[in-house]
This record gives sequence, structure tokens and C-alpha cells, in this order.
Amino acid sequence: MNDAPATAARATHAPAGESILEADEVVKHFGGIYAVDGASLEVTQGSITALIGPNGAGKTTFFNVITGFYRSDGGAASFDGDPILGRSPHRIAQLGMVRTFQITKALARMSVLDNMMLAAPDQPGEHLLGLITKPRAVRRREREVRDDALELLEGFNLAKLADDYAGTLSGGQRKLLELARALMTKPRMLLLDEPMAGINPTLGRRLLDHMQRLRGEEGVTFLFIEHDMEVVMNHSDRVIVMASGRVIADGTPDQVRSDEKVIDAYLGAHSGGTGNGGGARPAAPEGGKSR
Amino acid sequence: MEAGALSASRELPLAGRLRQAADRHPARVALGVLGLIVAALVVTKGLTTVADHMLDGLGLGAVYALGAVGLTLVYGILKLVNFAHGDFLTFGLYMAYIVSVTWELPLAVGIFWAMLSTALLGIVLEKVMWGPMRARGAGLLQFVLMSIGLALVIRYAIQYKAGTEIRTLDVNQTAVVEFLGLDIGRTQLIVLVIGVAVLVGIGLMLRYTLLGKRMRALSDNLELAEASGIDTSRVVLYTWVFAAGLAGLAGVLIGGFEGSFDPEIGFTLLLPIFAAVVLGGIGDAFGALAGAMLLGVMTELSTLVIDSRWKILIGFVILIVALIIRPQGIFGKAKAI
Amino acid sequence: MTEGLIGNTDLVLGFSLDAFTDVGFWTRVGVTAGILTIFNLGLQLNVGYTGIVNFGQAGFMAIGAYTVAILVEKESVPFLLTIPIGIAIAIAFGLLVGLPSLRLRADYFAIATIAFAEAVRLTAQNARGLTEGNQGIYGFDSEWDNISETIEGWLEATVWSDPDQLFPLLLVVWASVTVLTLGLYFLQKTPWGRVLRAIREDEDAARALGKNAFAYKLQSLAISAAIGAIAGMFLALSLRFVIPSEFAPTFTFIGYAALIAGGLASYPGVAAGAVFISIVYEAPRFLDIENEESVRFILIGLILILLMAFRPQGAFGKREEMVLGE
Repeated sequence: MNDAPATAARATHAPAGESILEADEVVKHFGGIYAVDGASLEVTQGSITALIGPNGAGKTTFFNVITGFYRSDGGAASFDGDPILGRSPHRIAQLGMVRTFQITKALARMSVLDNMMLAAPDQPGEHLLGLITKPRAVRRREREVRDDALELLEGFNLAKLADDYAGTLSGGQRKLLELARALMTKPRMLLLDEPMAGINPTLGRRLLDHMQRLRGEEGVTFLFIEHDMEVVMNHSDRVIVMASGRVIADGTPDQVRSDEKVIDAYLGAHSGGTGNGGGARPAAPEGGKSR
Repeated sequence: MEAGALSASRELPLAGRLRQAADRHPARVALGVLGLIVAALVVTKGLTTVADHMLDGLGLGAVYALGAVGLTLVYGILKLVNFAHGDFLTFGLYMAYIVSVTWELPLAVGIFWAMLSTALLGIVLEKVMWGPMRARGAGLLQFVLMSIGLALVIRYAIQYKAGTEIRTLDVNQTAVVEFLGLDIGRTQLIVLVIGVAVLVGIGLMLRYTLLGKRMRALSDNLELAEASGIDTSRVVLYTWVFAAGLAGLAGVLIGGFEGSFDPEIGFTLLLPIFAAVVLGGIGDAFGALAGAMLLGVMTELSTLVIDSRWKILIGFVILIVALIIRPQGIFGKAKAI
Repeated sequence: MTEGLIGNTDLVLGFSLDAFTDVGFWTRVGVTAGILTIFNLGLQLNVGYTGIVNFGQAGFMAIGAYTVAILVEKESVPFLLTIPIGIAIAIAFGLLVGLPSLRLRADYFAIATIAFAEAVRLTAQNARGLTEGNQGIYGFDSEWDNISETIEGWLEATVWSDPDQLFPLLLVVWASVTVLTLGLYFLQKTPWGRVLRAIREDEDAARALGKNAFAYKLQSLAISAAIGAIAGMFLALSLRFVIPSEFAPTFTFIGYAALIAGGLASYPGVAAGAVFISIVYEAPRFLDIENEESVRFILIGLILILLMAFRPQGAFGKREEMVLGE
């Protein structure tokens, strides 16, 4: 698998069909609000899995917890066998689970190429000691990384913008850049937060094609949060549904589409009847001041 | 995998577990620590000595509190800690000096003038500097540097006019009175009484009046306050009146408490005041009050153990410890980081 | 006031302009500007290229200066040996300060670093056994004097018949500026520098890509501490003594005025801003203005305020650099 082109993902321990991400009763609360209230799920290696749910269901918070950006308040999670709750974000990314953000974080005042080269792993020049002791290895890796980056940009039709500041790109181009940049890290799994939001259908189609290709050729697993039901139903293998901080359904798109609990959750959120609908529940007040 | 197990925290080192304890019951932990320290000192130095120093500490704490409450109230307006706040204290003090010492009017007039003039200064600066900068959407770094520039201008304008020599307010520094069976300097007692009285008044105002509630809402979250329909520009003005006025008063009181001063005095106090604000939780007026009292008492108690030259360092030590264990302060919410 | 307008500038302006033609004045300004430039190269690395708002630089400067003074004067350590020792101690303190405070938000970090600088100054003032308190330490520059005289000798023989006494220091300071600037410039272009810039842009994005943002910020602070220490050593040599008041946190504010005036994330800006502020700083001393210290700081404070209000990007920076709030 690894004399493949430079964009090959790293080998995983779990062969296709086994779970690569497991979460068990993950909890996250802010003061009195339980944004994630015992969420458990499994993602199969090599799958394209969608995470859906009404607004406030806790999807992005869940992402933040398992990628280390929020400290969890309970539960456990493991990635490819390694426990990940409580680890720092950069360690989790180094393990091979890389995320993108709902609002793209293109590094605006750096060039597109710099954005890409930044993401490449195993560059001794990123450490002061490496700069001093291995200058030739640093230069050699820079050349490799540059080639990889340009090749990847080519695949996303962004190569001509390589020297432009990332801040000058359009919204859709930034989304592509963020995806391409994430791919530079040679991830085993990509967590995409609303990848289709705000980009036109053509670009969206191209993104989905890329995802399918990466899954097929490189074995990259995808878990993405999405609100666009067409994308979810027609382009994902499995769908996981969250509401009120918990996972309420998990199956193929067809199974989920006709699941009553799912319909209730969405309807409840839309009718606005019972207050929170699909949103987070407030907890019992803790000792000390509220306000 | 066990349901509900905090597997992430199973192998937490001691620091992490301390942090968890501090997380859950911060006020109790703080009081507990204070209690331990007091107990240890009483055993080694004697009850009266410790009580004497604690009384002094309450006076110092009251002065810190007057500065800290104001600083934390404007925090929400400026979105940062105002580096010029310490120099408001200096300004008030020198204004009082002019009235009481140079013009030889009664000290009460001096105090009144100090508060009034500093409040005016606060309002002018809000109209001329802070308001326009907020309206333009200025960034944090800009506010920080502007407040530093302002601090320099105020401090050195005072120094230009008044010189660097050490001055004193014309107050009796040696008379000692008995209070609750303890000895305390008469001036220090007056400072304590005035300080506590004003703080109680401010506390009541903040808690029970509509304006007070609005000011607290504002200092906690300006946008939220605006969104809920509060007429923020008026509340902002009132907040400056109080914050600056209190700072002016604090300046006069510290002049009386310490006895001698020079133009640097406000800035020297700024760091303990910061520490009090951070300790109490930034944006939380009552927290600032509690933090300041705690800090004042700890500072004065420390002179039993170390030379009094170093007592200012206590503020820094507490600040660093607080920042490590609980950056959001005793009463703050986690969002503050 | 028309009388005395012509030919008697003293009367009209209240101070004398003669200083501006004095070589001594300009040498002095040059030395101050050089020291400030070095000081600010550290700040630029922190603020302009890593995005951390370090207000403790004066503390590192003090550590460098006092280490040299104490070791030379009290322990008779050879002058040249004290230089790397001072740098090492400053780096150690940089790490010590950074470890608890770099995880915090920008303004909390600023407070923590000011607290550090004040603590250093207070220690210098009160640890009289070590630092001689407010009396200060003198006499540690005798070895430097020898070096300086040697340089003067070369100059007299080759270029200039009567160089100002401070001129050798001027040369050495600006040579250091050049070396440090080049070093930092090339460091910026390395993959390491790229990570730093990414952290400045968006720390979370950098972490999501596997970069340990905290470690990089710590390194940035440590390097800046080393640079600050070097500035402190030069300041000590230029003053010929070290006293606590010369190393007060206020110096950091002067540094920021210069940094902003020149423009963030711009190397020519660092030197330009430093020269500008040095002129403002030294001018009152030479113009025989009363209360010169007060005037100099009032001016600097005003400059900071006006810059922030009207041209936050300084001379060479770009507007977006500044206005983006944290």
C-alpha cells in the first residue's frame, strides 16, 4: 500500500470493516448546560459516515471533545485503539485523526502554498534542534513537501493560486484548501465540520468526489457533520443522528430516514413546542453561584 | 469501557487533582487555605499580633477593593484590564493633596474633590477615547497599548507638575487607638471605616438597584447587555463615574494609610489590584471585593514572616498561583480563559 | 511675542536647539536606538511573529544586566564569560514565566508578564545583599573599557581622528543588531518560523494540524528573553552602572511605542521605530527641558495613544496586522 503516490494515507491497525473511532458515554457540560450528554458511537474504518441532528444537538461540541479542543467531563473514546480523551489536540492530530472547522481557518496572511507545507508531517526543520543538526535533511524534506503540496493542490485545481495569500481566496476555495491542507497530514481519519456549507453545488460535487476517491484509493475514513440532507442521504454509507447531546439513531441512510425517533427530534426542534426540542438540556444547579 | 467513568482523569497527577478540588469548591478552598495560614500564625506569633495585622489587612484590603471593584466594572466596557486605572488613584490622591494641603481645606473636601475630579476624568476619557475606539471596532492590542499610553500620560503629567519628591497628606500618622481590643493607627482605622462603609454602600447599590444590576450585566458581557435592551451608553457613563470615583477615593485612602507617596504609587498598587480582580474572577464585582479583602489580609499577614519591603510580592505570588490553579478566579466562570 | 523671535530661538521655544548639532547627542541617540532595536527584536518575534503579548521584556533585560554586573563586580568573573551566563539565566526565567502563563488568554498573559517584570525590579531594589538595591552596582565595565579603547585606537588610526567616547559601543551594538536581525530573518523563513506564523494566525488551526502550539510559544518567549538579556547588557555598558529604576517595566512600554511606530511584522520597522522613539526619549535630556523625565514619558504616552487611534500599523506595517482583535 505504501509505494503509492505521495498522497497515500498511513496504514492503520484496523483493517476495513473494523471500527476506527469509538466513543462511549462522552459528556461535556458548560456550567449548567449539558451540550453532550452521554454520546456513544462507532465509526467503521474506511467508511464515509455522516453525523446529523437538529441545531444544538451537540455535534460540533462532540467533535471538539474527541479532537481534544474541549476537556471532557465524562466518558471515554479511542481512536484506532488509542484512548484519546484528555489528550491535547495536536497529539490527536498526530495520531492521524484530523479535523476541519465549521468556519474555515485558512491562515489568511500566509500563502496557499505555505498553508499546505505547514501541514506536512515529519519535517525536522520544524524543531530548533532539527534545524541545527540536520540542515540537509530539512532542505530535502522541504523539497519533498513542496512537491507533495503542489501535486495535491493540482488535484483540487488550486495550484495556480499557490503563491496567493490564503485570505484572498473565495469561500469555496478556502474550503477546498482546508481539505487539501488536512490531507497533507496523511490522516487516517478526517472529521469535517459542515464541509458543504456555503459553497456552490459544483464545488460541493467535486468535494464529494474527492472524498470517495480518497476513501477508495487511500482508505481514509470520513466522519462529517452536515445539514444538507441530499448529500447525507446519497453520499454516505452510514448516518449517525444526535439530539439533545445523545446519539439517537445509527444506521444506513434509509434506515435513519424512516426512524421515528429521528423524525421526532427534527420535528420537535422545528415546532419549538417543548422549549429545547433537540437542543441541550440544562442540568440541576451545582453548588455555588449561578447567574 | 465503563459507562460514566472519568477515564480521562484516572491518572491525574497531584496538580490536576488539586485543580479539580479547586474547581468544585473554590471559595471553600480559599477560605480553608486562609484559615490554615491564620492558625499557623496564631500558634507561632500570638493571637493579638495576628489580629492586629489582620485588622490592618482589612484596611488595606478595603483600599484594594475600591480599586478592584472599579477595575472589574470597566473590564466589560473596555474588554480588558485598564492599565491606567492605577494612575486614576494617583490622580485622585494628588487632587486631594492640592485641596487639603496646598489650599488647606478640610480633608473631607479633599476627598470629595478627589472623587469628583477623577470621575470627571473618567467621563472625559470615555467620551474622547474609549467610546470612539469601541465604535471603530478596535482590537484588544490597540486597547491595551492605548491604556498604557494613557497611564504614562497621566502619571508623568502629575510628575511634571508635582515633581518626584515624596509627599504626605496632612494626617496624623502616629496616633493609635484601640478598636475591639486591638491597637490600630487612628488614620488606618479611619481608612478602614470609610473604605468598608463605601464598599457596603456600593455593594448594596450593585445588588439591589436597577442601575447596579445593569452595571454588573454590562461588565459581564457588553453585547449581551446591549442585546437585552439596556441603554448601554448611559450605563457606561455611570460605570465610569463609579469606577473612577472609587479609584479617586482609593487613592486618597492609600495616601492616608501608607503615610507617604509619590507619583508612582498608583501604578505600584495596580498589580495587587489586578491580582485581586483575577483572584475574584474578572468581570465579577463581588468577586473582586472578596479577592481584594483576601489579598489585603494575606499581604499584611505576610509581614509577620518576611520583611515588609517584600510584602508587595505577595500580590504577585498569589496572582501567579491563581493563574495556575484557577485562572477564572474564585467566583469566575470557565469561559474567562 | 514678536520681539526676540529672530535670532533668539531659546526665548521663543523655551529650550535650546543646539543639541541637535552635537555629535555626542547623536551618538547617544544611536546607542539608545541600537539597544532599543535589540530589545524590540525580541518583542517583534513575540508579538509580530508569534502573537504573544510579552510585557515582561524589561525583566529579562534586567536579568542580563544584573548578571553581568554582579558576576564581574562581586565575583570577579571575566566579563566575556558573564555574557553567555546572563543569557542562559534569562532563558531559564523565560521558560519559568512561560510555563504557567502561556496557556492563558492574551491580556492575562500580559498581566502575568508585567507582574514578572515588577517582581524582578522589586527584587533588584530590595535584595540589597545581592544587588546593592537603589544604590546600584558600578565598576563592572573596566574590561569593556579596554575593549572600547582598543576600538577607539583602530578608528583613530584609520577613519576618524577624534571619535566620541561612546562610538565603539555604538559600533558593537549595531553590529549585534545586524547579526541578530539576519539571524531572526532567516529563522523566520525556516519551517520552524512557518509554524510560528501559523500560530499567530490561528492557534487552533495549527494545533489541528498536529503542531504543539504551547511548545512553540515557549521557545519564542525563551529566545526573546535571551535577546532582551543582550539588550540589558548593552544598556548596562552604556550607563556604566545598573540601578533598578533603569530596568522598570516602563521600559517595555517604550519598547512597544517603538515597535508599533515602526510597524509589526516588519524588520526595517523595528530599527526605524527604535530610532524615532530614541530621539523622542533622548531629546528632553539634551534640550535642557525641565523635568525631562516626565516630558519624555508624556510624549511617549501620547505617541502610543495617537498611533493606536490613527495609525496602528505604524510606519511599515499593514493595517490588517493590528486591527484584527484577538
